[in-house]
Amino acid sequence: MKRKLISAIGVAAMMVSIAACGGDDGDEGGKAGADGYAGQTLTVWVMDGSSPDQWQKDVAAAFEKKTKAKVKFEVQQWNGIQQKLTTALSEENPPDVFEIGNTQTPAYAKTGGLADLADLKTEIGADWTESLNNSSVFEGKQYAAPWYFANRVVLYNKKIWAEAGIKDTPKTRDEFYADLKTIGDKTDAEPIYLPGQNWYHFVGLTIGEGAELVKKDGDSYVSNLADPKVAAAMETYKKFQALSKAPKDKDEATPQQGEVFGKGNVGAFIGMGWEAGIAIEANPKIEKEIGYFTIPGATADKPEGVFLGGSNLAVAAGSKKQELAKEFLRIALSDEHEGQLAKLNGVIPNKESLQSNLEGNVVAEAAAPAAAGGGTTPLIAEWAAVENAPNPIKTYMTAVLNGKSPAEAAAQVEEEFNKRLSQQQ
Amino acid sequence: MKRSLFGRIWPNATAVVLFIGFVFPVYWMIATAFKPTGDIISEDPVWFPTDITLDHFKTATGADHFWTFVTNSLTVTVLAVVFSLVIALAGSFALARMRFRGRRGFIIGFMLAQMAPWEVMIIAMYMIVRDASMLNSLVPLTAFYTMMILPFTILTLRGFVAAVPAELEESAMVDGCTRMQAFRRVILPLLAPGLMATSMFGFITAWNEFALVLVLNKDAEAQTLPLWLTSFQTVFGNDWGATMAASTLFAVPILILFVFLQRRAVSGLTAGAVKG
Amino acid sequence: MTVQTERPPSGPADVRRTAGGGGSGRPNPRASRVGALAPYLLLLPACAATVLLLGWPLLKDLLLSFQNLNMAQLIQHVTEWNGIDNYTEVLTGEDFWRVTLRSILFTAVNVALTMFLGSLVGLLLARLGKRMRFTLMIGLVLAWAMPVVAATTVYQWLFAQRFGVVNWVLDKLGRHSMADYSWTSDQMSTFFVVTVLIVWMSIPFVAINLYAATTTIPGELYEAAALDGAGAWKSFTTVTLPFLRPFLYATTFLEIIWIFKAFVQVYTFNQGGPDRLTEILPVYAYIEGVGNQHYGMGAAIAFLTILIMIGLTAYYLRIVLKQEKEEEAGL
Repeated sequence: MKRKLISAIGVAAMMVSIAACGGDDGDEGGKAGADGYAGQTLTVWVMDGSSPDQWQKDVAAAFEKKTKAKVKFEVQQWNGIQQKLTTALSEENPPDVFEIGNTQTPAYAKTGGLADLADLKTEIGADWTESLNNSSVFEGKQYAAPWYFANRVVLYNKKIWAEAGIKDTPKTRDEFYADLKTIGDKTDAEPIYLPGQNWYHFVGLTIGEGAELVKKDGDSYVSNLADPKVAAAMETYKKFQALSKAPKDKDEATPQQGEVFGKGNVGAFIGMGWEAGIAIEANPKIEKEIGYFTIPGATADKPEGVFLGGSNLAVAAGSKKQELAKEFLRIALSDEHEGQLAKLNGVIPNKESLQSNLEGNVVAEAAAPAAAGGGTTPLIAEWAAVENAPNPIKTYMTAVLNGKSPAEAAAQVEEEFNKRLSQQQ
Repeated sequence: MKRSLFGRIWPNATAVVLFIGFVFPVYWMIATAFKPTGDIISEDPVWFPTDITLDHFKTATGADHFWTFVTNSLTVTVLAVVFSLVIALAGSFALARMRFRGRRGFIIGFMLAQMAPWEVMIIAMYMIVRDASMLNSLVPLTAFYTMMILPFTILTLRGFVAAVPAELEESAMVDGCTRMQAFRRVILPLLAPGLMATSMFGFITAWNEFALVLVLNKDAEAQTLPLWLTSFQTVFGNDWGATMAASTLFAVPILILFVFLQRRAVSGLTAGAVKG
Repeated sequence: MTVQTERPPSGPADVRRTAGGGGSGRPNPRASRVGALAPYLLLLPACAATVLLLGWPLLKDLLLSFQNLNMAQLIQHVTEWNGIDNYTEVLTGEDFWRVTLRSILFTAVNVALTMFLGSLVGLLLARLGKRMRFTLMIGLVLAWAMPVVAATTVYQWLFAQRFGVVNWVLDKLGRHSMADYSWTSDQMSTFFVVTVLIVWMSIPFVAINLYAATTTIPGELYEAAALDGAGAWKSFTTVTLPFLRPFLYATTFLEIIWIFKAFVQVYTFNQGGPDRLTEILPVYAYIEGVGNQHYGMGAAIAFLTILIMIGLTAYYLRIVLKQEKEEEAGL
């Protein structure tokens, strides 16, 4: 293979360059014949809500144009996805390409279910943002390609904030708290809707505190929830949660916080930008009232730590269409389509150079300042087991909110947490 | 024996309370399905939907592959019920009418089979089907559903068969019928209520099953309605309106079938089925 | 719909006993040889289906329970035998025993409530006038016919913390602390809702069957009891109850196995939460096996679950064996 290293160049140029060397790969299946890949269909699993129809359509068209093959997008639900993915990867016909959560990637890399994408990284990934690519690398090998990332912001109801007499959005955590207090005092509204198990926000707070959720103990990882820094993050969470009537034992999805917010009687909530859509669907009148700002940190110069959620694209090791799958990745991750996705969804793209696509997008502009200080859950293969229901971190949060001290709560879930971290692989 | 006023009133009063208790969840499901979202998430419940909307039903039926799911569900359920009835009829006849070595063993065997906790054996079943390369097909699904309802069907039908007086069969045979003819012309018609009652049970079981189809059939072309129903509770939370509309649509065939068959089934019960 | 009772209380069964059945009535030796094979032939499809579709998965499950089978092994089709490690881990851990005890208590409470209330409703049906009986019957049938997945979803909605109608009613009734009560936050309140759901779904089966059974009690028996000077209570205990006993046995057996296996209700309502406190055995097996992707471990728990269930119903199975023996004498 004589592929040149391509960096941030126009998609047209890239196509020419790939076309020039297409068809010389020696993989068994999925080989391009004289007619390209005509007649073949590539199955791609994308998660619910991750890629707009327009994007899928455009990518499919570009893909078909270049390879003569078709692409079939299958939309998956996050709920139960790990079990579904594991079984699917064991099957004869796994999805050829699939979206995989960045925090879940290491565990799957370790199972041998993901194809090695080293050559693709050399070819198109030289300028992928390193912090975003971290989760795709496991034991030095490239098992996935970073796709898109996002972090939480504060969504607020401008009308309620104006009613409470607040003019500016807060710049520090204390100001934020004071503003919410004012709303509570001066209006009938619930200042903030913060359910007890919005654990991604909690992870963000721990990142802000510089805390680690796990620590190394000999060869294995163990719970680090007893760390005072974790406790400090939890105290912050608790302080804000006390202002909310939201359930202490539910996450942000039951009920959908956007839907609650849409009723127009909630001052703010912490969520992803797209959750505004849920609010608008529940109550179209709310649309013009929704504003966004960066989650304020302890000091004005540094926003709150955030969890950088995101997804990678991976190729199943068992796929019989390895080369075609890579062709798909080249197109989906091309500047044109990666930029389009960023623009359409307001998500952070995998290259700094594409961030210009976010201009004018109020949500992305609120999210972007925090992204630099963002992080993820620990990128270890053992982590995937932790997120299985019932997630011990959620249990920890509810325990603290129900009156246990952080230390007690940490002790309560430690056994379960450690058990999951030490599970046989 | 004349009963006191109180004695006449309390059973009726209790019945009314019970009626409300049993019907309310069903009513609430249907009512929620017809309410606009604003009325569903409302601080004060809207007891009677005034502002009726079909939006939730549109969301529910507008889901991708909805009609495929309907067809698949009906196919799998009806086939499973029919297969299990045919298999069970033969077996139950033997168990109810014949004397042979090992008869008790068979009965206990089917009772044990009835206890099988299918949900916990899912992975074993998955691996069998996967290794037989039969994933994403309705065939294994139909086969397993047949098996899930077979033990109950055999054991129940046995009661119905036993309740048909053997004399009838004997006299038919005296009249020159073969045993098979006697069975077909005399016993089978008398078994109709029993067949209906057991098929209702089978229908519900197969119609409801979702743990197995979830893991066996990832291809939407081979999925069934329960997966569609649970899909409204996604990570984005509960879309109660659509979920209730979907629940309503999902329950309606069963509710209709039940109310329709119930009278015959109960008459079957009273006619002697329970005596078996 | 009916239950399989083991001892026919009256009527046709007696006829059957005297009339005899089976292939025994024919003198022809050849026919009788065919006759001797007939029951096995008739049972063949059922047995074949059971062996293939239940026996095989059971065997597979047993084999898996001796393997270390996780994500990697499943994906790569690797078989890693690990002897009885899964069983040692399960049986020496506290969790399994706690869940087992919880499962048994859960089943006992639900079955007792279902049987007791169901019987009362059944007897009430017998006492009602025609029109009222029909009305109540419709209500029961609606609840009974609700598909379990739909019913559980509806209960989640009824008991939702926010905008749930139950909390609203409790609030209006003066229990203001319940206005925003989260039913899923606590072990007992979760069990409470699941119990209400299960009892609600199960009563109709018991009630309608029992009612149907009471209609078959010959009126002469009551007349005879009345002649003996028996009051309402006395005739209930001397006539009704003995007559209904086989039903109660059979229905209880069915309810035990159905409720013990109540996976969908418990799992869908709160995934065995909060904090794994409402996991019953099937849910525990599922969460350990499929949820946490320790399939070998899950298989071991599944197998133990089956053994426990057989243990729970052993008493009834013995009764059945005994009765069948008596009945065979009559065939």
